Amino acid sequence: MARTTSSDAQALFHSLRSAYTSTPTSLKIIDLYVCFAVFTAIIQVVYMAVVGSFPFNSFLSGVLSCVGTAVLAVCLRIQVNKENKEFKDLAPERAFADFVLCNLVLHLVIMNFLG
Amino acid sequence: MAVTKTEPINGSTTKSSAPPLPSMPLKSDLLSILSLKSLRLKTKQQELLIRVSILCLVYVLAFITRLFSVLRYESMIHEFDPYFNYRTTLFLTQKGFYEFWNWFDSESWYPLGRIIGGTLYPGLMVTAAMMYWGLRFLRFAVHIREVCVLTAPFFASNTTLVAYFFGKEIWDTGAGLVAAVLIAICPGYISRSVAGSYDNEGVAIFALLLTFYLFVKAVNTGSLAWGLASAFGYFYMVSAWGGYVFIINLIPLYVLALLITGRYSMRLYVAYNCMYVLGMLLAMQIRFVGFQHVQSGEHMAAMGVFFLMQVFYFLDWVKHLLNDKKLFEAFLRITVTCAVGVGSIALGVGTASGYISPWSGRFYSLLDPTYAKDHIPIIASVSEHQPTAWSSFMFDFHILLFLFPAGLYFCFKRLSDATIFIVMYGLTSMYFAGVMVRLILVATPAVCLISAIAVSATIKNLTMLLRTKSKVSQTGSTKGTGGGKTSSKAMLDQSQPFQRNGAIALLFGAFYLLSRYAIHCTWVTSEAYSSPSIVLAARGAHGNRVIFDDYREAYYWLRQNTPPDAKVMSWWDYGYQITAMGNRTVIVDNNTWNNTHIATVGRAMSSYEDEAYEIMRSLDVDYVLVVFGGVTGYSSDDINKFLWMVRIGGGVFPVIKEPDYLVNGEYRVDKGAAPKMLNCLMIWNSDLVTSYPHQNHNDLRTYKSIWMYKLSYYRFGELMTEYGKPPGYDRARGVEIGNKDIKLEHLEEAFTTSNWIVRIYKVKPPNNRW
Amino acid sequence: MSPPHRVNPQPLSLSPRQPKDPTTTKMARINFSVLTILSVILLLPVLSLSFSPDSPSDRRLLVLFDDLSLKSSHSIFFNSLKSRGFDLDFKLADDPKLALQRYGQYLYDGLILFSPSIERFGGALDLAAVLDFVDSGHDLIIAADSSASDLIKSVATECGVDFDEDPSALVIDHRSYAVVGTEGDHTLIAADDFIESDVLLGENKIELKVRVLNVYGFWIKQAPVLYKGIAHSLNAANNLVLKVLSASPAAYSANPSSKLSSPPSLTGSSISLVSVVQARNNARIMITGSLDLFSNRFFRSSIQKAGSPKKYDKSGNEQFVAELSKWVFHERGHLKAVNLRHNKAGETDEPAMYRIKDDLDFSVEIYEWSGKSWEPYVANDVQVQFYMMSPYVLKTLSNDKKGLYHTSFKVPDVYGVFQFKVEYNRLGYTSLLLSKQIPVRPFKHNEYERFITAAFPYYGASFTMMAGFFIFSFVYLYHK
Repeated sequence: MARTTSSDAQALFHSLRSAYTSTPTSLKIIDLYVCFAVFTAIIQVVYMAVVGSFPFNSFLSGVLSCVGTAVLAVCLRIQVNKENKEFKDLAPERAFADFVLCNLVLHLVIMNFLG
Repeated sequence: MAVTKTEPINGSTTKSSAPPLPSMPLKSDLLSILSLKSLRLKTKQQELLIRVSILCLVYVLAFITRLFSVLRYESMIHEFDPYFNYRTTLFLTQKGFYEFWNWFDSESWYPLGRIIGGTLYPGLMVTAAMMYWGLRFLRFAVHIREVCVLTAPFFASNTTLVAYFFGKEIWDTGAGLVAAVLIAICPGYISRSVAGSYDNEGVAIFALLLTFYLFVKAVNTGSLAWGLASAFGYFYMVSAWGGYVFIINLIPLYVLALLITGRYSMRLYVAYNCMYVLGMLLAMQIRFVGFQHVQSGEHMAAMGVFFLMQVFYFLDWVKHLLNDKKLFEAFLRITVTCAVGVGSIALGVGTASGYISPWSGRFYSLLDPTYAKDHIPIIASVSEHQPTAWSSFMFDFHILLFLFPAGLYFCFKRLSDATIFIVMYGLTSMYFAGVMVRLILVATPAVCLISAIAVSATIKNLTMLLRTKSKVSQTGSTKGTGGGKTSSKAMLDQSQPFQRNGAIALLFGAFYLLSRYAIHCTWVTSEAYSSPSIVLAARGAHGNRVIFDDYREAYYWLRQNTPPDAKVMSWWDYGYQITAMGNRTVIVDNNTWNNTHIATVGRAMSSYEDEAYEIMRSLDVDYVLVVFGGVTGYSSDDINKFLWMVRIGGGVFPVIKEPDYLVNGEYRVDKGAAPKMLNCLMIWNSDLVTSYPHQNHNDLRTYKSIWMYKLSYYRFGELMTEYGKPPGYDRARGVEIGNKDIKLEHLEEAFTTSNWIVRIYKVKPPNNRW
Repeated sequence: MSPPHRVNPQPLSLSPRQPKDPTTTKMARINFSVLTILSVILLLPVLSLSFSPDSPSDRRLLVLFDDLSLKSSHSIFFNSLKSRGFDLDFKLADDPKLALQRYGQYLYDGLILFSPSIERFGGALDLAAVLDFVDSGHDLIIAADSSASDLIKSVATECGVDFDEDPSALVIDHRSYAVVGTEGDHTLIAADDFIESDVLLGENKIELKVRVLNVYGFWIKQAPVLYKGIAHSLNAANNLVLKVLSASPAAYSANPSSKLSSPPSLTGSSISLVSVVQARNNARIMITGSLDLFSNRFFRSSIQKAGSPKKYDKSGNEQFVAELSKWVFHERGHLKAVNLRHNKAGETDEPAMYRIKDDLDFSVEIYEWSGKSWEPYVANDVQVQFYMMSPYVLKTLSNDKKGLYHTSFKVPDVYGVFQFKVEYNRLGYTSLLLSKQIPVRPFKHNEYERFITAAFPYYGASFTMMAGFFIFSFVYLYHK
């Protein structure tokens, strides 16, 4: 059973990797960015679990800035992905502009909330 | 196409506001001439022109139909809560935003005080203050009160615009226009947005509809910008009203429904995630809401859906990448197990550690209408929180109540993301409206929109029928470019006889109904919803209007005649008004945040005078204010609220038992009242003793009545209220009071207003020699 | 300028303690104007003699008699009062011109009712007027005897004291009666069961007292007081009334000339002979059932308590009455608290509002009236409460022996409307009840702690994200 699972997982990993290599570079950059954000968020959650949730607003703003960044980046990724037919008539420039706008708002609010 | 369809609506609206009546036929004439003679190319511009002008008319109409109260009475703030809002707005404009934000009010909830800045939704005040500053900047010397009085109508007007765009988004421009008209005069909305009703809801309905509109727009376009806009709409809503919880639950529910039915899309992901993350962050900036988005049970649904969505779309993406069913299933197993495990662990730990607070009582009472009655008397005591009667649905919605199912039918016939949303909004809010009277307000926009779809679609079909007919007979088939479905249906139906006549009859029927609606709305607005409730009006014996301005009389008396640091005790309903108008410290007020404190007052009110005096001394009470309608027949006075005082007091202090105040489960104030209400009154009237021989004379030795009773009926026994009735005849309850010889030991009457509605008593200092 | 105008200001500026009559007559002599002046002059005492808060002692007393012979038979008491600076106004209780106040001003600071048998006062005086007099802060001495009328009894009842209802009953004590020449009916009592309070009874008892060894240690024993009169008891519902002199456990109240048919209603030490009340407004009342207590005869009489070998040359009456009257007329035991001040530590101005966890200083000055001047009151049991429904802070104040009481403490971490409360109730002293309301607010949004070390990772993460956003944007836009 364990063997089959591990082999399954291996096969899964391989096929995922092969499929992923065909992704355009711009999307890969976004993926990297998303991973970075999620990773930071996880670190903070772990830190909070260790230290305690005292400056709760700081914790929330820290984590939410990461989560927000990640989510917005994923949204951007969805919008600029050529394969998504739904966003045919949305220009990538427009998508990026929206993304920048949302990020600005996000970080401004985070700044307000941090202290 | 939309031109002809909108005309009847326009007609009905003009009818509703009396003056522009003559313009109606003229306008329709003009319209018909234009539509006949003009070239096809110009139709679009004409339509735009007509649409804009109709919108403008609706905008103005929504505003002026709410001015009845100003015309009937005067430009003043109504009800109870608006006085608090007014007071805080005044503070905001005088002291500035930071002072307001950090305002600790020592004048209410004595001696606890209240952190105003942290316990209110500042949206309304900030909005009004902005408008005030804006007008001041433009050199309009307005008083802040005028701004406050007109805030709600102004936002109602804005709501019509939002309703138009929303209708346009979910159906078409015609439905949008109809929705704008319907919502402009819908009594369910007017009830909370007449001039002077300066309450959170006035602004919040606008914000609510705006948020929904922007969200639907975001879902339809899949644009981050619209998502951001809806986040801001949500932020405004959060800052304005506690009803935002409805949004934060409805939207996840909608998303969940789409996910389950398989109608999800990338657009949904973008819209929801952007809106949720940014909206949540923004909402946390409101002090009163604070961390609730991550801590309270009410908001967990949204968070759960957020995570679910991440998992779901991640899976979707992997599936897309893999293109291999078997492998994906394996992957699915692993991921789903992990996700569910992590999710349930997080939720369990959160709940168990008390980190995630359980649902609040208000929320429970929404889901289970009987919950509040059993557990939280303070919620159940508010008349707005009672379950809705059918009559009030009829009163507030009129024909919309029948159009609503029809609209639902049309929505289901043409399912899209937007119509699913409006259907869910309509159904859930209708349920909540059935649970609580005040939530009719939340349901109103949905009902208006869905009804508008019904009206619009019906009339469109009918006119289409008429036009195709005539066109067929004239020039052959020139089909309208409107909905393809409807026209093809019309084609199919062509063979039926009397179709044209039937269509005309139906059209007239629809016009008749709509005009009835307009008349009903105007009547309701002018008669039922424009009374400020602080000034009472009644018909005199000769049909003339009698005004009872007793409340303000009493509050100004307090302001003028009591020391500035005097503490006034009253039932909490009047707290805001006393602080705002009387400028005196109150023990409890309408912000019912501390149940114990209210229960203490309730206990004082339902105790004997000696015990009440102890409580009052401990709270440093200087004056006691009671509202009494026995002289004028005003029924919402303290005697009628008394059972709630008993219940709320008894909820915290088990000494107070409701059955003590009842006789055979009945609440009475007359001779047959409960012994605790007027222990012993028999001894004072020998004739009563004979007429009630079963009364135990031993009871009558001590002279004690509960205190509320005493305060209300003090000296009332001497008063002749109605011709042909004995003195001491209570007109509000239609009985002769049981105890006419009331003596007060620790209090003295300080002031009674001209119609006896408000009675103020001074608490005497302790006896000098005892 | 007309003469009346000239007259007016001068007497007003007089100290209230100066005797009034000479001044006014002198005025009248200077100004030979007639009626107008006269009326003004009549008004003058009223204007100038009103109670002054600067000296709480009484100055003008009204004494009411049943018959004027009392004036001579009780002259020692009256003379001692006069010698202490009081103006005594002797009137018959049924004098038709009797009035306590005129034009809303009280004419007297104290009232002595030596008219036990009066059924109705003359003039404007009645029960309600007497009670109003007390309730507006004036003092009262009531002396009854076996002829006490219902009126006097009802005045006493309103003050929390019930006289024996039997009109013929007297206090009888077969054990601690005063030994006189002949064996009487034991209604002349030698009472020595005093309340132990220096404030009420004074400290200067040395000459007339002997030290008696008691199981409780040394205590000072005053010469017994001669008492002949009726009994009264304290109303249990009244917690302001005090027994100053109570009867011995063997005493009872009955008609001495008839045999006891039923057990007496009042017996033992529940019988009070002399009681005092200090009302909430610090008006003081003394009630006794013996008018003879104040008489010259009792003052001068020697006393020997039955069963006691010690014979005093002089009864304790004179001293007892004098000391108690000093207390009643506010010559002793009167405190005042002034200058209640509070401020944040390190500041001097009184703030309108405190913040939670502020440090604050609190001070109040307490003085005692010595009969002539305000002297610093020194005690180590004065406490201040920081009170909101219940005391959150309760601190004993330290004093500097000059009347200034002071303490400092930290405002509790609770917001609300607090009160500084000084409640000082000591036997015999006027009660001090001061309260000053002060709201305590929570932190403002910019007063919370900032840059918390524990939160640095979060700050870091946020700024990293921000930087990441810029880098990402840059890379994303230019990666081609």
